[in-house]
This record gives sequence, C-alpha cells and structure tokens, in this order.
Amino acid sequence: MTTFFQLVVVGISTGSVFAIVGMSLVLVYRATGIVNFAQGVFAVVGGLVTYSLSQHMSLVLAGLLAVLVTAIVATGVAVVAVGIRGRTTHLASLIITVGIAILAEAVLLAAFGEVPRSYSAISDRAWNVGGVLVQPQYAALALVALLAAFGLTLFLRRTIVGQALVASADSPRAAELIGLNLRSIAVIAFALAGALTAVGGVLLAPTVPVSYSSGLTITINGFAAAVFGGLVSIRLALLGGYVLGVVEQLVVGYVDPQYNLIIALVVMLVLIGWRSRGELAV
Amino acid sequence: MTAIQERARRKRRDAVVRVVGVVAATAFACWLPFQLDSGDVSLYDRMGLYALVATGLTLLMGFAGQVSLGQGGFFLIGAYTSGLLTVGLDPDSRLVDPNAGIDPVLAVIAAPLVSAAVALVIGVPLMRLRGHYLAFATLAFALIAWSLLYAQDRFTGGQYGVTVTKRLELLGHQMTGASHAALVWGLVGLALLLSTTLVASRVGRALQAIAVNEPAAAASGVNVAVYKLQLFVFAAALAGLAGGLFTFYAQFLGPEDFVIVLSLLFVVMVSIGGLGSFYGAVVGAVTIVYVEHKLRELGTRETLLGWDLPPQGPSILSLGVFGLLLITIMLFFPHGLLPGVIGGLRSLRRRLRPGSRT
Repeated sequence: MTTFFQLVVVGISTGSVFAIVGMSLVLVYRATGIVNFAQGVFAVVGGLVTYSLSQHMSLVLAGLLAVLVTAIVATGVAVVAVGIRGRTTHLASLIITVGIAILAEAVLLAAFGEVPRSYSAISDRAWNVGGVLVQPQYAALALVALLAAFGLTLFLRRTIVGQALVASADSPRAAELIGLNLRSIAVIAFALAGALTAVGGVLLAPTVPVSYSSGLTITINGFAAAVFGGLVSIRLALLGGYVLGVVEQLVVGYVDPQYNLIIALVVMLVLIGWRSRGELAV
Repeated sequence: MTAIQERARRKRRDAVVRVVGVVAATAFACWLPFQLDSGDVSLYDRMGLYALVATGLTLLMGFAGQVSLGQGGFFLIGAYTSGLLTVGLDPDSRLVDPNAGIDPVLAVIAAPLVSAAVALVIGVPLMRLRGHYLAFATLAFALIAWSLLYAQDRFTGGQYGVTVTKRLELLGHQMTGASHAALVWGLVGLALLLSTTLVASRVGRALQAIAVNEPAAAASGVNVAVYKLQLFVFAAALAGLAGGLFTFYAQFLGPEDFVIVLSLLFVVMVSIGGLGSFYGAVVGAVTIVYVEHKLRELGTRETLLGWDLPPQGPSILSLGVFGLLLITIMLFFPHGLLPGVIGGLRSLRRRLRPGSRT
C-alpha cells in the first residue's frame, strides 16, 4: 500500500505540471481561440534557461530570469501565431504553432545541445509521511498548480483584463467594436500562459531532466489535461492534470514503464471522443 | 449538337487528356531512375515513397477538410507490417529458420491492407472530430504507434530495429535500386490516376461539396461521414503501401526512420503544393526530400558561413528550415506555396502588360 501512495504522490507532482500546461492552454484558447501546440516548448525554455543561467548566478535568480525570458519569447509566438487579420483561421494558427514547435526544437538544440538537463531541487531532504516520501519539490509543484488555478479563475472572472480576454474569443467582432485590440489581447494571454508554463518547467527540471525535444510530450499531456475541461474550464484542467499524472504513475509502477505515454495518449483519445460528442459534424 | 452533348464530349476528351498525360509522365518517371547514378536513385526513390503518402494526405486535407498529423503512423504500420511478415512474426524462429517469413510480394500487399484496416477501425470515431481535436487525435495515434515500437520491442527490435535481408522479387526480377524506384514511381502514377479519376467522378463532386460547405452537402443527400471515412482509409492505404515498399528500400527498420516530425513533414509537403492538388503534393514531396538532402550535406560540414557547426548540424538545419517553411506557408500562402507563387506571378504579368490598367 505504501508503494501505491508513493506512486500517487509522484503522480500528483508530475500531474501538476500537466495541469499547469493544461491551464495555460485553456487561458490561450479562451482568449484567442487558438490551441497553442508550442505550449510545452515554454516549459523546456524555462528549464534549460534556468540551467544555463544557474552556472553564473543563484538558482532562484536564474529561475526568475528564465520565467521572464520565456514570457518575452511567448509574446513573439503570440504575434506570429495570431497571423494576419481576417486571413489566418484558428486551424491555420494551430499549424503555425506546430511550425513554431519544430523551429523551437532547432533553436533549442543549437543553443543547449541534446543532453537532458537537470539541477538541484529546492531541498534534497524529503518528508517522511507514514513511509511515503514527499519531496519539497513535489509540494512546490502542487502548490503552484493550485495557486495558478485559483488565480486564473479569479483573473478571468473578476478583473477587467480577464473579462476582456474572454470577450475577445467569444465574439471577436463585438470585442473590436468596443475598442479591444485583439492582437494585444493575444499577446497578454500568450505571455501570461508562457510565464505560467515556464514556472512549471523550472520546477519540473530537477525531478525530470528536460531536453530540446521534451516539448512535444509536455504539450500532449497538457492538452489531455485541458481536454478534460473541454479546453475552457480551468478547474477541470487542474483535475485532469492530477488524474492523468496519477494514472501514468500507476501504470509505471504496476504495469510497465514503457506504456506510460501510450496510456496517457489513450486517455486523451477517450477524453477527446467524450468531449466532442456535442460538436458532431452531421 | 446540343449543349449537353457538347459538354459530355468535352468531359470525355478531358478525361482522355488526363489519363494520357498521367501515363506519359509516369512512363518518364519510371524510365528516369535507370539513367541516374546510385546515390541519386536512392534520393529519387524516397521522393516517390513520400509522394505516395502526400497524395493520400492532399486528398484527405483538400477534399474532406480533415487535417491529419498522423500519416507517419500509417507509414510506420505499413513498413513494420511488411518487414515483420518478411522476417517472420515469431521473434524466436527469425534467427534460426531462414524460411520463417512470407514472400516479400505478399508482405508488401499486406502493408496497405493492414494500414487501411487500422484506419477503418480508428476512423469511425476520428472522422467525427474536427479542427484541433482531430489534429491532436491523429498525432496521438502516430505517437502511440511509435511508442509501441519500444513497448513491443520483442517483436519490433525496439531501438535496435529489424534488418530485412530478403529482397523483393517481381516476375523473377529483383526489385532493388533503380527498378525499386521505377516500381515506386509507377505506383505514384497509379495513385494519381485513381485520385484524379475519383475527384472527376460523382464521388469527387460530393467531396468538393463537403469541402466547400459541409452542412449544405449533407442537406443535399451526401453522406458526409461515409465519404470522409473512405478518404481516410484510402489515404492510410497509400501511406501503408509507401511504408511497405520502404522496407525493401531501406532493408532496415528502426524508430529513427519514423520520428514524429515525419508526420508533420507530410503536412508541409501538402501545403507546399496546395490542399487538394495532386501534382502539388508530388512537387511538395520532391522538394522536401531534395531540400532535406541538401541541408544534410550542409549540416555535416565543419563550418557554415563562419559558424562552427555542432555534430547535430543536420537536425538543427532541417528542423529549422521546415519549421520556418511551415510558418511562412501558413501565414502568407494558406492555399499552398505553389498556387500562391503562380498566382502572384500571373497578377504581376497582368500588371506589367503594356496598356493594361490595374
């Protein structure tokens, strides 16, 4: 039974990362209607930049700078992904972000090499809770995911900017009529989501080393978490991340580590099928 | 002669011109590899293999409006189907029994059938999806197929792959090198003939109706779901056939030949030629293979424009160029690079013509 709880604890920690990426995807989708295929790349940028900077400065400062750098990168991604007004459809934007994800692999490979990178965790001690080891790093990830879910929900519901984000995806025409600049809206959403995902990446790297090609799997897992909430619900994306993380860890522990990604993908396919029942073609 | 008769006559004439054109081009494409040296033949062969996949995908994307990021998965299934059937499904008897597998010709025929069967099964739920859901679901399918290579490494050899020593023999003639390339391009011609005939038929008109306005097509009695599923299965079969032939081209199957980026590359090929353009898909495949080859040459150099290239130079260059290409095409030429450029040239010529006003 201890093994089971240990797996659940690890699952909640990796699931927190999926949840963070999932919520970022939800934020971007609710503001722009775009599914950002390059979202996982931001986690990789966060982790790898932190690793490089930590050679020259303290880890905390490196992490903060990495989040800032990622937010700036995300602004650039926003401008390209939104594309040309009135011409670029949301599906075209998705394919553009696929292109950005491919391009990002090239840039990351050139800048950081192909070796997966990791650095020291917040603390190398672990709390022993009835035989189950809980590392402070896991707790930090779970905490960030919870705070992000809480903060994002408040932000989208209670603030003017949050309302503007939601409005511009609900009805772009009406949003423009009342004077919202759709491109600025997209930039805000992408930058915010990029920073959030980067925080996830910075905290993830000590437990799971990241490399230039980790982005794809992170995006897929984050998307699966987001689909849990139909791409629009922050809370369900959080829950989806936890469920996915725990299921994956149980598969690793009890079935076969090789099937870890396969199970995640099958779960995602089932979720997609369940979520899109309402939007049938005919 | 009435107008209707006139139209029917013109249609028959168009069909004849189309068939003769494709047959002539195919004959040339099959003759060409015998004139090339062996390095170029290999490149030319790969172009043909990818052109088969791209032809199916352009049909699917252009006429059913379905973006598939998973064609690499069907390519993989086709390749491993023919490869494993040839060396023998039972991993224990492979090494001891030289007659463990079946005839390579049968194995190649099985490849598109298995891919099509898989497409039929997953297509029923998948073809109900649209937009980003479909894109992610097809990508997930390709990733699952790829992960299974590692998870089922007893059968697939995992990262060490499978070596296929048997050669493909047709009518007592070994299909290697130039004759393999000729076979592949002959099949490309056949696929083009089938696809263009399909599009020019009643089925094609239904497909075009779906592409333009799905609800309207459905309201006019077009069974949208069935047509989409048929296209999906057909595209998968073409990808599977290409995979099956790839086995006897590479004579080795390993996960590196089926990386997930390949699925995305097929989308780049199709978007170069324009969605729904068959000749464009062939041009796209030829372009991408050629560019990749040139980038590989550039990337393996020590330095490039004064920069020291790391050992991963080829990957960096090809990923970078293809990423940029996809972004540029989707931003500026959403209807295809080739149609966009041709249209641009035409309007330029119209403007430059003396005495014309714009």
